[in-house]
Amino acid sequence: MSTDTGVASALDRGSTGPLRYAGGAVVAIGAIVVVASLLAFVQVVPTTIAGASLFDVLALALVAAAGCLIAVVVAAKSGVLDTTPDHTAGTSLAAVFGLVGLVTGGFVSAQTLGFSTLWPAGALVGAALGVVLAIVPREDSALAATGGGFALLVGGIVLTDVIGPDWQWQPEGLSAAFTPETTLPILLGVAGLLLAWVGAQAAAGFGTQGKARGASLLVSANAAGMIALLVVLISFIAVRGWGPMTEGIRFGLFWEPVTWFQPPGWDKYVIISAPLVWFHWPFVMEGFAITNAINGVAPAIVGTVWLVVGAVSVAIPLGVGTAVFLTEYAEQGRLTSIVEIATNGLWSTPSIVYGLFGLAFLVPRIGNGSSLLSGMLVLSFMLLPLVIITSREALLNVPDQYRDASAALGVSRWQTIKSVVLPAAMPGVVTGAILGVGRIAGETAPILLVLTGEPFPETGPDLLNFGAAFTSSFPFVELSFLNTDALLQPATALPYQLFATITAGVGDVGEGFSWGTALVLLLVVFAFYAVGIASRRYFDTKLQS
Amino acid sequence: MSVERGLVGRLGVGDSPVGVLLGVTLLAVALTFFLAPGLVIYPLAAFAIVVVYGIFREQGTTARVLALAATVVTVLVLGLITIYLVAQSIPAFRIMGIDILTKTGGELWSPSSAIYSLVPMMWGTVVTTLIATAIAAPLGVAGAVFIAEMAPDWARGLLKPAVEALAGIPSIVYGFIGFVVLNPFMAEQFSLPTFGSLFVVGVVIGAMALPTVVSIAEDAIASVPGPMKDGSLALGATDWQTTTAVTLPAAFSGVSAAVLLGIGRAVGETMAATVILAHAQVLPDPLYDVFGNTETLTSLIASQYGIASGSQMSALFAAGVVLFVTVLGLSIGSQYVERRMERTLGGDT
Repeated sequence: MSTDTGVASALDRGSTGPLRYAGGAVVAIGAIVVVASLLAFVQVVPTTIAGASLFDVLALALVAAAGCLIAVVVAAKSGVLDTTPDHTAGTSLAAVFGLVGLVTGGFVSAQTLGFSTLWPAGALVGAALGVVLAIVPREDSALAATGGGFALLVGGIVLTDVIGPDWQWQPEGLSAAFTPETTLPILLGVAGLLLAWVGAQAAAGFGTQGKARGASLLVSANAAGMIALLVVLISFIAVRGWGPMTEGIRFGLFWEPVTWFQPPGWDKYVIISAPLVWFHWPFVMEGFAITNAINGVAPAIVGTVWLVVGAVSVAIPLGVGTAVFLTEYAEQGRLTSIVEIATNGLWSTPSIVYGLFGLAFLVPRIGNGSSLLSGMLVLSFMLLPLVIITSREALLNVPDQYRDASAALGVSRWQTIKSVVLPAAMPGVVTGAILGVGRIAGETAPILLVLTGEPFPETGPDLLNFGAAFTSSFPFVELSFLNTDALLQPATALPYQLFATITAGVGDVGEGFSWGTALVLLLVVFAFYAVGIASRRYFDTKLQS
Repeated sequence: MSVERGLVGRLGVGDSPVGVLLGVTLLAVALTFFLAPGLVIYPLAAFAIVVVYGIFREQGTTARVLALAATVVTVLVLGLITIYLVAQSIPAFRIMGIDILTKTGGELWSPSSAIYSLVPMMWGTVVTTLIATAIAAPLGVAGAVFIAEMAPDWARGLLKPAVEALAGIPSIVYGFIGFVVLNPFMAEQFSLPTFGSLFVVGVVIGAMALPTVVSIAEDAIASVPGPMKDGSLALGATDWQTTTAVTLPAAFSGVSAAVLLGIGRAVGETMAATVILAHAQVLPDPLYDVFGNTETLTSLIASQYGIASGSQMSALFAAGVVLFVTVLGLSIGSQYVERRMERTLGGDT
């Protein structure tokens, strides 16, 4: 038992008791300052709270936290706190504060001391100071001197109004001008982040554990930032687009005779009067016309659906066929590796280049103008490499035992592929295809060049046309389900519609219409992604069970 | 897995009339599409009939030939893209000579007097890509380290779909937000003289390239064999020491491939730049003025294809060639370092 507690205390050393609280307080204050500065920078929060300047409050908090950090280091030096600092803080701290010193030194010498052309010298002095402070003292002192010192410096600058309300800085050669409203949050935010970083190292008792804690704080904050970016982007669009998108939705019930078919032997049918729901959603059901009370994006939705259908029905057979040939028939060697390099190259080819290719190759051959068919083909070329890559990966993941067992039963190679390999690889193929579809559904650049005509049409492409007729010429019966004329007409699509609202400047397209279009586009793309991710989860759990 | 035979013999194309017929009809389809695209429906119908016949009579052969045909079409597409881009850009190169890539003085872009220099656009692409890389590379690799090495299960379950969703947001939506929100913000807060700047484009493109870097770098980090890390941990290293001293160096090739692909994405990003920039085909003055306005290669094409014809159109294709070559180089480079990583780590990873 006693060894157990001994081990535990050795491992947890420094992370218990007053050190943890003091270090934790430094980290918390640093984090709060970062978040508050960020919000102040984007002007979500007001810069004066209850008569006091927000920046002064934040600067005071920084100074207090820096004092706390210095107290921790003094206590650690005098042996009150049990810590394990290294003899030096290491290169990462030196690199970070060398950079900070470089910027600060240049800034101070140019701004405060007024060295107009000598600022590089100041910058070098600052950098040297940062590096020396980080490397020369023992680790705990170095952390206090760099992180705490920079926080004190920034706090002092803010509190003593070195950067006051009238301050303005127009750097030589840059078009931008910096004002206190933007500069102070940046300064405070950087200082807060660095303080939180060194505070986390102090909280874990310096040394190896401290470095791990500091790094994990930064990396986790970065991950949280990515989530925050996603949430902010989506909620921004959702909040602004929701109103225009749902404007004018009406629904209700009306009574109508409904025919219920009954099983044979009973009555043939009964007719009862039942309520039916009717539903009208102008934004997704209407086109763009002067007579419309609310203009909608229905043509663009129809266009996007047809583009996706067309691209998928060309790219999936081609892509899966290529993957089957490369994996099952071809010798693994020069040929397959060349095709692989080619597909990877195609995958990263910029979308606008596909558009140019369509413009040069497809458009002159198909109708000599923008057309739905060209759009479909160009998007299918974009989808093709992704389908090949994912299908090939899925096929390679099918264990060779499957093929051998089938071959041992005397089954031909194609039969093996058809009934053993392809079914086993299907999940990967399907998932890859759906994720790829999500990408091409939002693609704008290529269709800009080959698909589009009028930006705000009243109706979408009318591609389905079921009909049967007798004709006077051979073969005397005409069955049609595709309206080939529509394939050769220009069309619109959701991403293009959004682009058009930005550039066209049509008088009656308000900004609300754009936000609504963006939201619908986002919903369509995310619907594809949700299906793709859900099917991957489903297949994963099915494989594991 | 298979017995060595010649390509034709192994495909069975020569063995059966179905294979020959399929080949002939496909060839006819291709030829008609190049020579007389209006008539393509007839060979296509013949091809379809042969396929249907083949499926009933000789399924194996038909499938093989169709798979081969799909491969050929894929390779053909890449070849055609290259050929058509280069062919269309030749007039511009003929007018300007090497000046199209190097002319920096005087008038740089003037379709009316047939002067086309891609230097401002190349500079714009370089600057935006640098800014984007400065954002996407460190943050993306850090995100990948978090997902692969540090995250608890719940955080990983949250982050991986989140990164995929970020990658899924269409570029025009990013561009729209940049245009409607960031441009006015920058104009107001930093008193920019023009609407739109390279800086905003770089930041937006950096956010867009971020998920690419994260997901590919995460794959690379996760594929480092567990025993390598176990050895380090068994020696008493902390998780973070193991990550920096063992995992990241072992995954270095994969991580750099991820960064290269991210750069490729940033170079080729079109819509954000098109929407945000104010389309001035001049070099910023001074060159390092990232808050100034110029043009990128992609936005040049997207903003001028509609009004261009003749030599101007050809100059746009030249911009496409520069883009295509750059990104292809990045892609091949990243594949090379990835293969090297596979060789270094070896085994079943």
